[in-house]
Amino acid sequence: MIPVALLVTIGVFALARLSPVDPVLVFAGEERDPAMLEAIRHQLGLDEPLPVQYVAWLSHAVQGDLGRSFQNKQRVTEAIIERLPATFELGLAALLISVTFALVIGILSAVKRNSLLDLVSTSVTLMGVSFPSFFLGIVLILLFAYVIPGRIFPPGGYVPITQDVAENLRRLVLPAATLATASLALNLRQVRSSLLEVFGHEYMRTARAKGLREGAVIIRHALKNALIPVVTLIGIQVGAIIEGAVITETIFSWPGVGRLAVQAIPSHDYPVVQGVVLVSALSFMLSTLFVDVLYAWLDPRISYDTASA
Amino acid sequence: MAGTTVPIRLGRERSDRLASSAYFLRRNPRMIVGGLIVIAWILAAVFAPFVAPYDPIKVNVIDSLLAPNAQHWLGTDDLGRDVLSRVIWGSRVSLSVGLISVSIGLLVGTSLGLAAGYLGGKFDLFVMRGIDALLAFPALILAIGITSALGPQIQNAMIAIGIVAIPAYARLTRGQVLAVRAREFIVAARTIGASPLRIVLRHILPNVMNALIVQATLSTAFAILAEAALSFLGLGPQPPDPSWGQDINYSQRYLPNLKWWMSVGPGIAIFTAVFAFNFLGDALRDALDPRLRRSGT
Repeated sequence: MIPVALLVTIGVFALARLSPVDPVLVFAGEERDPAMLEAIRHQLGLDEPLPVQYVAWLSHAVQGDLGRSFQNKQRVTEAIIERLPATFELGLAALLISVTFALVIGILSAVKRNSLLDLVSTSVTLMGVSFPSFFLGIVLILLFAYVIPGRIFPPGGYVPITQDVAENLRRLVLPAATLATASLALNLRQVRSSLLEVFGHEYMRTARAKGLREGAVIIRHALKNALIPVVTLIGIQVGAIIEGAVITETIFSWPGVGRLAVQAIPSHDYPVVQGVVLVSALSFMLSTLFVDVLYAWLDPRISYDTASA
Repeated sequence: MAGTTVPIRLGRERSDRLASSAYFLRRNPRMIVGGLIVIAWILAAVFAPFVAPYDPIKVNVIDSLLAPNAQHWLGTDDLGRDVLSRVIWGSRVSLSVGLISVSIGLLVGTSLGLAAGYLGGKFDLFVMRGIDALLAFPALILAIGITSALGPQIQNAMIAIGIVAIPAYARLTRGQVLAVRAREFIVAARTIGASPLRIVLRHILPNVMNALIVQATLSTAFAILAEAALSFLGLGPQPPDPSWGQDINYSQRYLPNLKWWMSVGPGIAIFTAVFAFNFLGDALRDALDPRLRRSGT
C-alpha cells in the first residue's frame, strides 16, 4: 500500500505541474513586475528542480500542510476541514437512503424473482445507473422547488445543523436523494444477485428442510452470507463520498469539499484542487484497505496470507 | 452455473448461421434495443448537419425561450437557439469523446496488460503498481484533476477519461495472459519458434477479445457520462459549442422560470445514450463472455 500511496502523491504533484498556466502569475494577481514575480517564484519554491519541489511538498503534506489557496490565501487543509462536515452529512444521508432502499427492494426482488416487482426494480436499477445525477438533481429541483405547489423543498443552499435542525434536514432531502440514486442502483443489484447466488446453496435447502420459517431462513441464513459483498461495496462508497459529492454539491450550492474544488478550477487555484484530489484519493485508498480487513473478518474463509501466494 | 451441462450441437451447417443469428437476437432483445439506440445516435452524430433542423449556435433573440412546438420540437433556449439541433450536434461531442477516450484506454491498457502479463518480473510489478495508483483515485476526481490541470478543452477531457479507463483494460488483459500463458497451445507456439510479439498478438490477444469488446461497450457508457459531468462542471467544450452536460448546466438558471425544456432535451439525450451502451454491454457480456456473467442478473 505504501508504494502505491507514494505513486499517488507523485501523481497528484505532477497534476499541478502539468498545467500550462504559470502558478506564479496566478498567485501574483495583478502584479507583473519581473523582479517581484521572481521573488514570488522563489518564495513558492518553484525555482527549485522538480524532485526537490516534490520532496518539499510531500514533507509538508504529511504534516498536514497542503499549502495556501492562491485566491484567498487560506490554508488548504483548513479549507477542506471546514467543509468536510457538510460533505459527510450529505454523503452519509445519501448512503443511508441508498442502503435502506437497496436492502428492502433487493431482498423482495430476490425472494419474488421474476415477479412484477422484480422486473420493475431491475429495470429501474439499470435506468438509475444510466441516469446522470446532475440531470436528476435538476428534475428534482424543478418538481419540488418550483412545479409542485407549496415549494416543499428549497432549490439549494445549506444551513448548519447546529443553527437550525429542521431547516438543515429540509435542505438535505433533495441533494441526498440525488446522490443516493446512482449508488442505490449498484447496491440493489448487488443485494439481489448475491442473494440469488446464496439461494442456490445446499445449506439453504437444509435450513428449509429442518422446518425453519422462510423469514428466518432468509434473514439468518441467506442474508448473513449474501451481505458480505454488499458490505464491500458500501465500504468503497464511503471512501468515494467526496467524488459523488462534486456534482451534487455544485447543483445544490452545498458548501462541501467537492464544491470547493470545482470553484477553485476556473481560477487555477491548484493547491486547492491538488489538496482535494489528494484527500479524496487517500480516503478512497484507506476505505479499500478497511474493506479488505473487514472482508477477512466477516468471512473467515478469506485469508490474505494464502491469497497473495 | 456450476453443475449444469450444456448440450453440444454437432454438425451445424454454414447456412444455419444466419438463422441462428436471428434466433440469438430474438432471444436477446436487450441487444436489439441497445444496438438500435446506439446506431440511431451514431447516425445523428455523423449526419448532424443534415438531420439538425437549425444552426445550433445561431442566435435568434425573437424566438427565445419558446416552449416545444411544431417548429422547435424541443423548444428554444434564451438566445433562441433550437434545443433539438443543439442536442443532435452535442451527440458529436459525446460520441467522439466516448470513441477516442475508450480507444486510448483500450490501446494503452491492453498493451500494458499484455506486456506485463507476458514479460512478468520487475516490469509486471512496476506496471501493476502504476495501475494500482491509478485505481486509488476515484474515477471522476481523477478526470477532473487531469482536465483542470491541462485546461478545459474537449481534447483534454478525452485524454483524462482515457487515462481513467486504462486500469480496467490492463487488469483484464493481464489476468487473461496469466491464465493462458502456461497452456499447451502457447508452449507449442513457442516451441515452433514464434516470436514473443506473435505469440502475444496472434495467440493470447484473441482469447481476451470478447472480454475487451464487452469492457469497451460498458466503458463507452461511462465515458459519455463522464464527459457530460466534466462539461457540466465547465471542463468540456466551451460555449457556444453545443455539449449536453454544459447545456444542462446553462439551463439551470432558467429553472425558476419553469423553462424545463432547456434541461430535458440534453438530459434525455445523455440518459438514452448511456442507457443504450450499458444495455448493449450487458447483453454482449451474457452472449460473449459467460465467465463474467453475474448469476441471476
